[in-house]
Amino acid sequence: MSILKIEDLHTYFYSKSKQAFIRSVDGVSLQIAAGETLGIVGESGSGKSITALSIMGLIGAEPGVIAGKIGFKTNGIQKNLLQDINEYVKLSKQDHRIMAVKKKAKEWHRHTDRVMKKIRGKEIAMIFQDPKASMNPFITIGRQISEAVRLNTPIKNRREAKEKALYWLEQVKIDSARLRFNNYPYGLSGGMCQRAMIAMALASEPALLIADEPTTGLDATIQSKIVDLMAELKSVLGITMMLISHDIDVIKRLCDRVAVMYGGTVLEYGSARDILSADVETKFEDQINREFLHPYTSALLASVPSEDHVKGNKPLQAIEGDVLDTINIPRGCRFYRRCNRVNAAIEDKCQTVEPQLFQTGNQHQIRCWLYAA
Amino acid sequence: MKLSAIRPVALLLARELIITALLLLGVSLVVFIVLYLSPGDPFSQLIATQQATGPSQPKTSDALQTFSAFQQYLIWLTHLLQGDFGASLRTGLPVLNEIVRVGINTLYLTIGSMLVTLLVAVPVALSSARRGMTMLNWPFTMFAYIISALPVFWLGYVVIYIFLHKFNLFPIIFGFSNNQKLSWLYFLLPIFVLGIGNGTLSEIVRYLREEMGRVLAEDYIRIARAKGASIWKHAFKEGFLLPVTEIIAAKIPFILGGAVVVEQVFNWPGMGRMAWQAAQDRDYPVIMGIAIMAALIVRCGSLLQRVVSIVVNPRASRT
Repeated sequence: MSILKIEDLHTYFYSKSKQAFIRSVDGVSLQIAAGETLGIVGESGSGKSITALSIMGLIGAEPGVIAGKIGFKTNGIQKNLLQDINEYVKLSKQDHRIMAVKKKAKEWHRHTDRVMKKIRGKEIAMIFQDPKASMNPFITIGRQISEAVRLNTPIKNRREAKEKALYWLEQVKIDSARLRFNNYPYGLSGGMCQRAMIAMALASEPALLIADEPTTGLDATIQSKIVDLMAELKSVLGITMMLISHDIDVIKRLCDRVAVMYGGTVLEYGSARDILSADVETKFEDQINREFLHPYTSALLASVPSEDHVKGNKPLQAIEGDVLDTINIPRGCRFYRRCNRVNAAIEDKCQTVEPQLFQTGNQHQIRCWLYAA
Repeated sequence: MKLSAIRPVALLLARELIITALLLLGVSLVVFIVLYLSPGDPFSQLIATQQATGPSQPKTSDALQTFSAFQQYLIWLTHLLQGDFGASLRTGLPVLNEIVRVGINTLYLTIGSMLVTLLVAVPVALSSARRGMTMLNWPFTMFAYIISALPVFWLGYVVIYIFLHKFNLFPIIFGFSNNQKLSWLYFLLPIFVLGIGNGTLSEIVRYLREEMGRVLAEDYIRIARAKGASIWKHAFKEGFLLPVTEIIAAKIPFILGGAVVVEQVFNWPGMGRMAWQAAQDRDYPVIMGIAIMAALIVRCGSLLQRVVSIVVNPRASRT
């Protein structure tokens, strides 16, 4: 049973100066089943974080426009989080070109707040990158966690909430939790802060946890410890998680399913074992199993340093070119200009028609003409 | 509030007390030198205005001149340290009592006007920090800017003209008998004029909007939203309390300066009017006393701001 079902999500930002939409998320469909961890990989600017913010209803102050469906299931009730949201946006068109976007920001805010009231924090919690900036520097971490407890769980009593907060601090392996409870964020290291952030997110006891680059900005040893912690929490508590990262190793360790995003769309979607697992990687190093994957994914995997690179002094492979400019998205395949596996048979199609997601294996989808049935 | 904040606050208070004492000494010295160098003396002023000649005045004048200026200052200072501000040369009443008596009126005026300023400025600033300039808060912001650019005495006279001469609404405060109904309304007029016209209105709008806008864009506010908590609660300390105390502490001298003018215009018997009168009469003890009091009030304001920032900000209270 999927908890979250995103269908054809579009999140655009209208740039007044350029008179055009920045198409940050352009037709993303994803599903997360209960107890499953979905990883989203991609370069910066591929729309990963905007997808997460769209789910949380935190696209607001900017001239953002959302379309599509985000189905979220709570207590057996399916709800579309984007219902009626576009009543607050007015597009003025001229000759089929959008000239201006008028957004009733206040009503839009009020509407999302109303829709998300029972969901934000309570059902979907979120961990952001940069833990030190993410905790309120003027409030002790203990109070911030117990605030989450009191806001989002049936516990309303201060003392019980404090006990619960301490419990969560212990769950995320913060030593001497009772002492740390009264610390301000400035007194904690980055890793500690991220643990406290995770505790705060878990304290809401959400049905879905969205972790947006939880290890970015931490140094390598702390990163691996945070990943260990999340792996442990996942197996002990059975949390459903959406993990956003550009670190393939993190995704590999934690995720059941993976979506590879590029230029605002999903290029490849399937089980983590099929896409990222070690044997596929080694096989594809030997140029055997390469054709299992989308050209972008295989290039991404090839750019991750492995043992062979270190031992054999092999140069790392980089993907040529720059990240897609999401204002001027080309007509054909988004990855065409950087693709190294275009062949004469499909080149025309690559240039002119955008491929859909083709089913290649058991629940493995690839957006590439190479895999057209 | 917090136990951990008591020690730093006590340390701060001790340090500030010493600084304040030195500062007051400096203020009194400077004011004394200015008075000493300024032309005229209280007795020639009295003589000029009253045209009264008597044998007694030259005598006291002589008595004063037997001391050098420096000695006069030291005598005044030793008296001050014993809590004696001296007596007014004009009325003969003790200066301290007089200052306290009229100081209460000035306190009403300045604190009341500060509340008016905040009541107008805070909603405008917060709404434009949250939503940017909208059709609703744009006119209010413009109004705040324009009204702050007007000189306060002009505003005062315009208000008096409109209310007294056109509508014949309020008699001038304290100048007439107070037996009409709504006499409390008479107090509000100068309070409103000072609150809106003293120039701090636009400063508070601008500063608070910038600070609150900056804080609302912080990551931790987004987290608070994601958590389902109130963003105002999380933004309160950094985005509201600190900037507001900061700007009020910085603007107390301006508010006092504005009070001098408004008291003059509205015939409000406060410290400002007393200072004005004393300056015209060369009433040295009164001028010195008021200067000391004004410096003390300004110090108290900045002290309050320091205490608030230490209590609120955990990083500041660590030392």
